[in-house]
Amino acid sequence: MTNPSPPFAMKGARVRRDGREVLAGVGLRVETGDVLAVLGPNGAGKSTLVKALLGLIPLAAGRTEIYGVPPARFRDWKRVGYVPQRLPMGGGVPATVREIVSSGRVARQSRWRPGTAADRAAVDRALAATGLTALAREPAHLLSGGQQQRVLIARALAGEPDVFVMDEPTAGVDAGNQVALAETLRELTGAGRTVVLVAHELGPLEPLITRTVELEHGRPVRERALRGRPLAAAPEATMEKSA
Amino acid sequence: MTEMLHYEFMRIALVMAVLIGLTAPAVGTFIVQRNLSLLGDGVGHVALTGIGLGLLTGTSPVLGALVVSVLGAVAIEVLRARSRSGADVALALLFYGGLAGGVLLTNAEGGGTSLQSYLFGSISSVAIGDLYVVAGLAVVVLGIVVLFGRELFLLCQDEEVARASGLPVRFLSVLIAATAAVTVVIAMRAIGLLLVSALMIVPVAAAQQVTRGFRGTMLLAMGVGVLSAVSGLAGSFQYDLPPGPSIVLLALALFTVAVAGGTVVRRRRARATASGNDEPPAAVRPGVEAEAEVLEG
Repeated sequence: MTNPSPPFAMKGARVRRDGREVLAGVGLRVETGDVLAVLGPNGAGKSTLVKALLGLIPLAAGRTEIYGVPPARFRDWKRVGYVPQRLPMGGGVPATVREIVSSGRVARQSRWRPGTAADRAAVDRALAATGLTALAREPAHLLSGGQQQRVLIARALAGEPDVFVMDEPTAGVDAGNQVALAETLRELTGAGRTVVLVAHELGPLEPLITRTVELEHGRPVRERALRGRPLAAAPEATMEKSA
Repeated sequence: MTEMLHYEFMRIALVMAVLIGLTAPAVGTFIVQRNLSLLGDGVGHVALTGIGLGLLTGTSPVLGALVVSVLGAVAIEVLRARSRSGADVALALLFYGGLAGGVLLTNAEGGGTSLQSYLFGSISSVAIGDLYVVAGLAVVVLGIVVLFGRELFLLCQDEEVARASGLPVRFLSVLIAATAAVTVVIAMRAIGLLLVSALMIVPVAAAQQVTRGFRGTMLLAMGVGVLSAVSGLAGSFQYDLPPGPSIVLLALALFTVAVAGGTVVRRRRARATASGNDEPPAAVRPGVEAEAEVLEG
């Protein structure tokens, strides 16, 4: 509304999986600078929602746009940093923390050129911001859950995106490390970045959040503005009629 | 030992062994991380049909194997991406079809003995022309690994993150499968189609016991690959053994050594990090999987 092409704009989004409606008509608009938390119980469709925002899960109905472009036609992926829930083990080939974080630069790199000094500097900054510098040469799959989460955040950070999409950054992370994570996020949001994150409960992240959307059974049921900000775009993030 | 260098076919075979030892584990590192360890086996079976076609039509069996195995690998990748539950059966059908078709076609051509040499390898029959083909294909494979390595690394780490980074995921998936197929064709003369994927997988499995990173694993696996290919070939010459099985058994022996070495390394590492780490690894934490059920239907 204020901006013609916000980071994310979703309308009437439905996702079906195995005959079940996982998203049942979601409208959501994320403005630049928002720090939006998607809340809700297990199975409410939170992860599905953020994946659908990125076009990783196809919509059965409705539409979604990233900076005004449908995901299938979106090309400017360097503006987006996706932090998945976990570091998959795959076939068990080890990878160092630095290797994984460096792969976050891929959207900015040319296939035909080796990594540049700017790439290495961005990786160094991402490692430092997440407190991983000392662990850079360690195999990532042997780190603790909290440390692995920071590796995933550092990978997104290394790409220097404008908007972060984080799927449960606090899952499996103990209280102490959640505080450390909140500190990392504070620096990101301080720099004016847009963040969409999925959380079970906010915990130490709460002071950073500007908006929350609560999902239940694939529908947004409640929206709150935090830190005294007015409810932005209220009618957008509401329930839409189910079919 | 140097006696074998007097024979031209052994000189050719040794160069070929080095090329196979370098390429197979380089591609294998991606294949293993992508949980496609049996892809090479499947492609090997499919390649037999190509050999049969090549023999029957009087064209080159290598060319036949190359075309059919690349098509087979692409088919496998498409099946894998399209269907979730049916892929397993579809792959099996492709494997059996490839093997049966190969046997039938070579039989029709009357070349039962040459089939044997493709199944189990017959490096003594390779000519200089074969070496040129293998060398050309090896350059293509290693070129792909160098050029697309960064993208393939991320693809094999996490396909969704690769998509959210704007990588051409479908193209890269087909590329890695097709590259594996080319590697099968490179290695088939020396090792035989039934054992060909061992040299893609076993050196990687050995290397990952002791390494910390992806690049390190790939380089060490290439070292293990060259070592087992060259010494397996030399040993087979010395003791009059079939080369393919000798190479594979040597690689497996190196794997066993690496497992023992890896146990020591991990224990030492665990002791070193025990002081710095207050959390257990994520893999053993029960809470981590909490929200995954929505996504992995």
